[in-house]
Amino acid sequence: MRRRGFVGILTVVACLVLSGCAQGWGFSPSNSNGKINLTYALWDPTEQIGYQKSIDEFEKLHPKIHVTIEQIPYNSYQPKLTAEFITHKGPDLFWVNTPFLGTWIKDKVMVNIAPKIKADHLNMSQYYPALVQLHQHDGKTYGLPKDWDTIALYYNKDYFAKHHVTIPKNLTWTPDGGGTFMQLLKDATIDTHGRNANSPQFDKNHIASYAFNSANDMQGSYLNFLAMNGSGVFPKAYDQKVSFDNTKGIQTFQYLTDLINKYHVAAPGAELGPNADDSTALQVFARGEMAMYMAGDWNTNSITQSTKFKLGVLPLPAGPSGRASVFNGLIDAINVHSAHPKEAWMLEKWLGSAPSQKILGEGGYIWPAIKSLDKYFLQAWKKKGLDLQPFLDEAQGKTVNWPVSPGMNEALTDMGQALGPIYLGSNSVPAAIRSAADAANHDLSTGAQ
Amino acid sequence: MGLLRWGRFGRLTIFYLILIAVAAVFIAPYIFAIFASFKSLSDIQSQRAWQPPSHFGTSNFSQVLHSQHFLTYLGNTAMIAIIITIGQVLFSMMGAYAFARLPFPGRDFLFWVYLATLMVPNVVTLVPMYIVMEHLHLLNTYWAIFLPYVLGTPYAIFLMRQFFMTIPEDIIEAARLDGCGEQRILWRVVVPLSKPILLTAAVIAFVFGWNNFLWPLIVTDSTSLRVVTVGISNLQSNFTVQWGLVLAGSLIALVPMLIVFALFQKQIVNSIQLTGVNR
Amino acid sequence: MTAVAPSTNVSTPAKAGGAAPGRSKRRQLGTAAFFLVPSLVGVLAFLVLPVVLVILLSFFRWDLLSAPKFVGGSNFVDLFQYDHIGHSLLVTLYYVVLNIPIQTIIALGLAMMLSRKLPAMGFFRVLYVVPFLATPVAMAVVWNWVFDPKIGAINTLLGYVGIHGPAWLGSSAWAMPVIAFANIWQYAGYNMLFFLAGLQAIPKQLYEVSGMDGAGKFQQFFRITLPLLNPTLLFVLVTGVIGSFQVFDTVFVLTNGGPGDSTEVMNLQIYQSAFVGFHIGEACAMSVILFLIILIFTVAQFAYFRRRTVYEMT
Repeated sequence: MRRRGFVGILTVVACLVLSGCAQGWGFSPSNSNGKINLTYALWDPTEQIGYQKSIDEFEKLHPKIHVTIEQIPYNSYQPKLTAEFITHKGPDLFWVNTPFLGTWIKDKVMVNIAPKIKADHLNMSQYYPALVQLHQHDGKTYGLPKDWDTIALYYNKDYFAKHHVTIPKNLTWTPDGGGTFMQLLKDATIDTHGRNANSPQFDKNHIASYAFNSANDMQGSYLNFLAMNGSGVFPKAYDQKVSFDNTKGIQTFQYLTDLINKYHVAAPGAELGPNADDSTALQVFARGEMAMYMAGDWNTNSITQSTKFKLGVLPLPAGPSGRASVFNGLIDAINVHSAHPKEAWMLEKWLGSAPSQKILGEGGYIWPAIKSLDKYFLQAWKKKGLDLQPFLDEAQGKTVNWPVSPGMNEALTDMGQALGPIYLGSNSVPAAIRSAADAANHDLSTGAQ
Repeated sequence: MGLLRWGRFGRLTIFYLILIAVAAVFIAPYIFAIFASFKSLSDIQSQRAWQPPSHFGTSNFSQVLHSQHFLTYLGNTAMIAIIITIGQVLFSMMGAYAFARLPFPGRDFLFWVYLATLMVPNVVTLVPMYIVMEHLHLLNTYWAIFLPYVLGTPYAIFLMRQFFMTIPEDIIEAARLDGCGEQRILWRVVVPLSKPILLTAAVIAFVFGWNNFLWPLIVTDSTSLRVVTVGISNLQSNFTVQWGLVLAGSLIALVPMLIVFALFQKQIVNSIQLTGVNR
Repeated sequence: MTAVAPSTNVSTPAKAGGAAPGRSKRRQLGTAAFFLVPSLVGVLAFLVLPVVLVILLSFFRWDLLSAPKFVGGSNFVDLFQYDHIGHSLLVTLYYVVLNIPIQTIIALGLAMMLSRKLPAMGFFRVLYVVPFLATPVAMAVVWNWVFDPKIGAINTLLGYVGIHGPAWLGSSAWAMPVIAFANIWQYAGYNMLFFLAGLQAIPKQLYEVSGMDGAGKFQQFFRITLPLLNPTLLFVLVTGVIGSFQVFDTVFVLTNGGPGDSTEVMNLQIYQSAFVGFHIGEACAMSVILFLIILIFTVAQFAYFRRRTVYEMT
């Protein structure tokens, strides 16, 4: 009995070792088929499918080049790439997450492609100007824009119909709690007796479903509102001081947290994830306990798969300074230590080109960064029954860029931690803003050193 | 004392009820995970976790199993976990024997050096370890994944040392007087007497090797070298989290560990019976 | 019967090995070397070397990508001035205090129950170790189903008995106990394994003898079981304390330090310094401080057990 068990284990070992696990034991496998191998790192498994389609075309055009997509889980993307950069290894081409952009520029891990753009006479005006600027610093350019995203309100059409919620023509908000947006929020918040928040008998202690998510998330929430109230998170890229620690900033955060704690029209912070960071908001929306879900368009796939009701999209409400949305996009950067910079540039150019972006747009993966191609993405989703026009309107309207500076990633992490308590109703807004700004300013000044 | 009046039957009933209650707490999250692994993403998001799936659709499982390389990942993981288990138990056993039973100068100091390495967080040793691997030219090979854990770990050595020290000195001294060398004593005397803890250490090493995530992820790039934890983690991203797939994949990966643990559990019981319960 | 009156017998392992007079130190070293070389190679290359680098780097400013710059002790000063390391230390200590006693008592209790010779004990042993097999990726979503204030299993159960449950992970008072609960859930059965092995090594004759002396179950536990479990207990406590001071995965997945900074444990701050802020020097300095604290606790535990541990069970 005992012996048989042991022999069994030995057999399993032997089989495993022999079963063609021969590769992986040698020292740096060399490729013998004469092709040049490029590695392209990204973190999203859904977009990976789209990019593989694009790269298949690229390989047809350049039979001498073979591209391997290396997908790294999002949470480990940063540590893994960092370890590889230190030892001068890493993928030839990689997605750049905007929070790290400033630091990676400072640390010179990305090739400045400005001379190559000039030499190849690339038409940079085909892209959204804000996306091009986002990835430029000191006259250098670090990548061609590929995609973009804005923030809007997904809404549950079935919920609106069931509770007879009507959508005002012009959505507006004011920091004192006025505007048509507040009317909509009150209409869409329903207590356990089926009364909405406009009703005098509304029972704020027994709310069945809320109007939307006011989350402790810069890109998905508060930066949009700050911009619409004539403020912001950051005066301009590569500054070292944040700009929300003033009257306008306090006013905006007061409004956003009042929606939860005073007006009871936004879901409680505790239901939105750790420090109300929005990570579980989609679940609340999917359960039908939130009428609208304020989120970036990269969530579209996730939202359609997570919900069973009819979806629609509303633009953000316009604030005192009009309507504005955070506008962001990704680039591919070329590794300064790439062994094949020429081929990496060819791939970069391909991924920034219209043929590649058309493939990804038509597949419904991303909004192409080339303005004339946006219609393909719009059509792809219209076919699936979802009109994403509001995102496009916002991209073409007033936008605010993601704040870029070395140390920004740490600053945002610390801000999230300091601001969490106001969304959970356990700290005063001015005090939280003070400590958020202090922490962020310290991170930004040390991040630049 | 009132319990005594219930008699043996009553006491046993309470005993088993407690065991079942504890088991319920330990297993409930797994029940949620099993239910979810049979649901669509929209059901997972909208239903309560304890709501059984309306039908046991296996699409998540088949999607995971048919996803490009999942079986390769399982094979890699099994191989690495087995290598780590064998090496770690064997070499830790040797080290533990030296610390527990051999007098040599500097023993206490060396033991504390071993222990001290447990006290520095992995998060910061990760990058230095990566650099060591780079200098050994072992990045992106199987070696890189298991080498740091296969030569015996301070943790396992500490564990075994504690048990080796409880073996009565007269038994070992008797073997020495019979002319046994230290190697023979370890194999013929200490190992047979320490089967329960050696098997426990083996299970732990196996589970560690199977579940290890960050290190294999960082030292390998090729899909052909990928382990199952990394494969599962790749199913989620910041954009779309396919919880059904993640949980189905995790449950598939759990099965081999459960089998190994059940087998070892049997072995532990057998080894106790064979040595006459105790020494 | 040394077990009943512990203290005098083999208090340290040093006696073991029968230091025969003829053996030279060199020969002892030679024999020991054979047994130690494999683990020594591994420990030196993959643990000691990295740890030495960490200690050195704690005196440098290094953002991982540009060249390290020597800054003396300024990393350590910064930790106290800007990073509120005192707060993290207290939070971590709070976690250790919540976690270790409960986890150890549950593990020991389960081991005592399952070491009885009754049907289905093997089955329960396997069941109780199942949580140990869980991976953080899967637990992230599962714990949310348990602790969500609205749809979580716990608040739903509480609701049946008319209690309005707290927000758990959204409440700064409850977040840390919840994290401790999650860790106890995962590791109680795991630590039970060591106690099971330890209990099996206790000679049954001791109980028989003491049974004749008329000692009750209660006395037997404190006079035989516990003293003879000391080697196991030392291992479980020392490794448990080392692990708890370095708690990371559960916190990262459940609260990421929140609400506010109420669960910002040391290792989370170390991770954020290293891989979010790229201040590897600061991360190393924090690790050095954490290391020293853990070392003090470990030495104290060894010292405490040294006086009362009986290793030989004759």
